[in-house]
Amino acid sequence: MLLKVKDLSLSLKKNGKYATILDHISFQVEKGETVGIVGESGCGKSMTALSLMRLLPEKARLDGEINLMDENIAKYSKRKLEKIRGNQVSMIFQDPLTSLNPLQTVGTQIEESLILHRNMTKEERRTRVLKLLKDVGLPRAEELVNEYPHQLSGGMRQRVMIAIAMACEPQLLICDEPTTALDVTIQAQILELMGEIKRRTQMGIIMITHDMGVVAEVCDRVIVMYAGKIVEQGPVRELFQNPTHPYTIGLLDSIPKLGQRKQKLGSIPGTVPAPGNMPAGCRFAERCRHTMDICRTTVPPMFDIKDGHQSACWLFDEKGGDQDGVVRSDELETALHH
Amino acid sequence: MHALQFVAKRLLLMIPILIGISILTFAISNTIPGDPARLILGPKATPEGLEALREDMGLNDPLYVQYGRYMGGIAQGDLGQSTYSQRPVLNDLLRYSPATFELTMFAMVVTLVVGIPFGIISASRKDKLADQFTRIFALLGVAMPAFWLGLLLLLFFYLKLGVLPGSGRLDGGMAPPDYITGMYTVDALLTGNWPVLYAAIMHLILPGLTLAAVTIGMITRMTRSSMLSVLKSDYIRTAYAKGAPENRVLYGHALRNGVMPVITLLGMAFGHALGGSVLVEAVFSWPGLGQYAVNAINYLDFPAVMGVTLLIAVIFILVNLIVDTLYFFIDPRLKHN
Repeated sequence: MLLKVKDLSLSLKKNGKYATILDHISFQVEKGETVGIVGESGCGKSMTALSLMRLLPEKARLDGEINLMDENIAKYSKRKLEKIRGNQVSMIFQDPLTSLNPLQTVGTQIEESLILHRNMTKEERRTRVLKLLKDVGLPRAEELVNEYPHQLSGGMRQRVMIAIAMACEPQLLICDEPTTALDVTIQAQILELMGEIKRRTQMGIIMITHDMGVVAEVCDRVIVMYAGKIVEQGPVRELFQNPTHPYTIGLLDSIPKLGQRKQKLGSIPGTVPAPGNMPAGCRFAERCRHTMDICRTTVPPMFDIKDGHQSACWLFDEKGGDQDGVVRSDELETALHH
Repeated sequence: MHALQFVAKRLLLMIPILIGISILTFAISNTIPGDPARLILGPKATPEGLEALREDMGLNDPLYVQYGRYMGGIAQGDLGQSTYSQRPVLNDLLRYSPATFELTMFAMVVTLVVGIPFGIISASRKDKLADQFTRIFALLGVAMPAFWLGLLLLLFFYLKLGVLPGSGRLDGGMAPPDYITGMYTVDALLTGNWPVLYAAIMHLILPGLTLAAVTIGMITRMTRSSMLSVLKSDYIRTAYAKGAPENRVLYGHALRNGVMPVITLLGMAFGHALGGSVLVEAVFSWPGLGQYAVNAINYLDFPAVMGVTLLIAVIFILVNLIVDTLYFFIDPRLKHN
């Protein structure tokens, strides 16, 4: 097991009091596996990524376990964390325009990880930087090392970010909306590159996105988050074909599909509850079409649907479903054929 | 290439700016009450004598004629004759400016050495004790009038403790070093005159600190706010994500980005220090442009006042030009665009 996150909770101090951002998040990433985390803005997916890297504001309170290769890094000291960041775990950020230092050359910025984590001579580092640039598909690497971020296009900059992340061949790569700020054609190229890297290395990848297309393209498994909690997770194909949580259904319903003439795209009524003002029961209860009494009072646990497919919805409580995997309640039946 | 064009453009822009300044100063100094002729001839002057002198000095001509005459002289490198010292103003300026320049430069070095580190500490320990301390220090520096701070420093370090000299550029009876630049520290260093170098530095400390108090405050606060905004930026997060330790992030990534707006302010601070030297030189009997200007104003010595004003304006503009040109070397985005 590459990464095992257990009961991860995060609170941030805002206006003098702590607000819960993440609430008992648990998931796993295997070696060579790509796990997508989806959800709308503010659901805590980026905060999950930053928590894994422990790149949190000073006043953040983090509980639970982050087991990276059986080492709980949630309690690591600053010094020990620095040894892991950029070395065993790397991160790619959303905006390649602002994520690179404008005053340093591309070469210097890629080289930095090697200086920090590898005992290499200057020559060895240079060779490695050139190879990294070629690996991420950038042309004329020899000139590129001496150029500054502003001289590159958005797609090239994101490739540089990937090169930086790959410098020390990490076991885990966290991508926070790596294609959101890019043109659609460039998006496809970057995703292709990520897929290629995934095939070549045995790296585990966490892909944070709000784009279901990206998930379908590159992920093996997907985690759906809502208001700081995981509401559903499972293998991509299974989850897309057989979504169970009303939120996931709503999310998938809101994507336009080619070839389907539909008058109106689905939308989910209402808004996400604010951190610090979470309801007692299920956080989606207020917006859900199938709300039952128990939803408002008790937080739903994860119910097993099928191998590895889990859903945090009371509709799948044993009492309401049958045993052989295709757990359906009458309520959901109507929801799915709506 | 681009930098050269930029400098040329800015140098050309200096001309209208200087003409504007000269008109303003000329108008102000000629409309303030007081009669230079009466000041020169004293209380016992006869009306005929006064009239003759006024005619002789051209004071009876219309203001624009006087201004035209003055500017005509400047075009030929003639800044007029000081009515007080009876020497050409240009000679006086050359004679007094090295002392002021030395004092101002010293204050700027102190400002840089103290202000920027204070700003960095303040930003990296935001809202902690060190931040509060530097904030109070910076506010005091900006808020305290220079002449009052100067007197306090004199009282304490000169009169009470007796560890630092109180006035002048060198100890009494000490011969100045051989003239090279007119700045005693530089000349003493160049000629290897160590006792004079030591004395010159000791004499610079109190007036230099007085002058630097305001600019340290300015630079500290500016560095702090600039560093704070840089520390929030995405590339700082990238640096942390690479595993860079805090100090490396702070000095390797944040500092160069954070110091950019501070550089602009540095030009302003230099101008502030030049202007502030008028008061500080008076407190510490520093024989520089400030003292010369104060005397010139007291004696309604218009050519001298004009000369000092124009010189300070030229230095101020040049320093800001140098500062702005520095960006071309620090910010690669300007170099390539």
